[in-house]
Amino acid sequence: MSDEETLRPAWSQHFAPDAIQELLAHGPFARITPEWAWGGSTGKGMRVAVVDSGVEYDHPALEGCVSGGVVVEYDSKARDNYRIKADDKPLDVSGHGTACAGIIHSIAPEAEIYSVRVLGRNMGGRAIQFAAGLDWTIENDMQVVNLSLSTSLEEFFGLFHDLTDQAYFKNMNLISAVNNIPEPSYPSLYSSVISVAAHEGHDPFTYYYNPNPPVEFGALGIDVDVAWNKGQYLVCTGNSFAAPHITGITALIRAKHPELTPFQIKTVLLACAANTKRQSK
Amino acid sequence: MNPEKDINEEKLSEQLQRLLTSIEASGRAVLPKSNDVLLKSIVDAAARIFGAAAASILLVNEEEEVLEFKVSTGEADHDLVGTKFPYDRGIAGYVFMTGQPIATSNVREDKRFNQDFAKSTGYVPDSILATPLILTDDRIIGVMEVLDKIDATSFNMHDMELMGMFAQQAAMAIDMSQQIDSIEQALIRGLKRLAKEDKTQDSSDLKSALDHALSGENRTTDLLELADLFNDISGLGEAERKACIQVLNTFAEYRKSISAPRRFR
Repeated sequence: MSDEETLRPAWSQHFAPDAIQELLAHGPFARITPEWAWGGSTGKGMRVAVVDSGVEYDHPALEGCVSGGVVVEYDSKARDNYRIKADDKPLDVSGHGTACAGIIHSIAPEAEIYSVRVLGRNMGGRAIQFAAGLDWTIENDMQVVNLSLSTSLEEFFGLFHDLTDQAYFKNMNLISAVNNIPEPSYPSLYSSVISVAAHEGHDPFTYYYNPNPPVEFGALGIDVDVAWNKGQYLVCTGNSFAAPHITGITALIRAKHPELTPFQIKTVLLACAANTKRQSK
Repeated sequence: MNPEKDINEEKLSEQLQRLLTSIEASGRAVLPKSNDVLLKSIVDAAARIFGAAAASILLVNEEEEVLEFKVSTGEADHDLVGTKFPYDRGIAGYVFMTGQPIATSNVREDKRFNQDFAKSTGYVPDSILATPLILTDDRIIGVMEVLDKIDATSFNMHDMELMGMFAQQAAMAIDMSQQIDSIEQALIRGLKRLAKEDKTQDSSDLKSALDHALSGENRTTDLLELADLFNDISGLGEAERKACIQVLNTFAEYRKSISAPRRFR
């Protein structure tokens, strides 16, 4: 199918070529350029967590950027129904987390990546593992967190809302992929996170801002070459491969401008979006 | 024998029988004759809609903690059916454990796809779109996969969205069919357990009523036959369905007209 014929899911429709709205940056915002925002940055010193299926620490594409990790397991007998085990040389049970980490590393090569493995076998348990993994990133001073997973369970709305607020007040940026199926997914719908869907471009640094949230950013997520577990490579499509592009760019901006707060980061991302035009005066 | 108990037993037996037959009959009238036929029709439709060379459905087997190939169509065909995978293996495992659909291509590179096994069936797909089968209560009952997009190198996001919606419909139909298949057995199991475990009172009446209801000779098969017949006829077309309804209405009116006076006697 040709590019013209390619259609997008509901969450991605805002980023179709004919749907992208041109935005104007005024005054001081017009002076924020990609060059100012992340030019020369490698993400050095940034602690970036990937909450997913694990990250294969010795995958060649990751070039040793994995600095540690944990495994969160569901345990109905444990307090709060989960337990956390250290995972210094993490592995990936699926490949998906390695794909996300590989994208982040390709953009922010000197960022330290931490693997937070949270896959579970049933919906309720899985949402608890996911929440516990997010909680671990807050307690362990991660600065940028990639959340290519989400939950659609209403009963977890409050818990995830609380966790994302905690992260926001701790100066963290959470980057959350919206579900590929057009239905509510948490935490991607909260204003305290940066939510991302896929667009069909080919440049990892080209992304768009959607002025009609909840989905705010559209990044490369269609037919992306990614690393996969067991040292392999695949071509993947989905919103979960768009989010790590914004995670990588956020790590670059934060490394270069450590004084910026989460809402300022969002402003910088908006100012540097490909559909934002700068008004010189 | 206590005549009162005898009467109670008979009532209970009758009630059970009516319950069992109506459960079975209602299931047969609204769904294809078996779960297998339903699954086959779903994968056939999926392959057609998404322009795929093959399609398959894996359903969760909670007792063994595996995903089991239940049906497949196209090149992969029937060899896959019955094969089981642990929850956390392969692309289907990821989809099952996260509830997220995934589209990949160049799958040959992916050794987790268990190439030895795929080779043994002579079929290794180039592209896969795998989508969770999610019920309205967010329970995931399995994974549906379409394999090898015919006119492109990979499945696109439009396919992913449509398949998400299609899979929701499929999941509901599969769940309903499974429930009807198992509800009768569950009911019988539950009642038997009740009869066994209820030591506080004499439960022999329940047990014998159950045996009586299940004895077979006494069981009404007419209703089931009728339901099957309805199903067959409704499959023929609109005109046949209408004709069928008309005949039944006429018959019902006739029965009413001859039985009504009896009620007033």
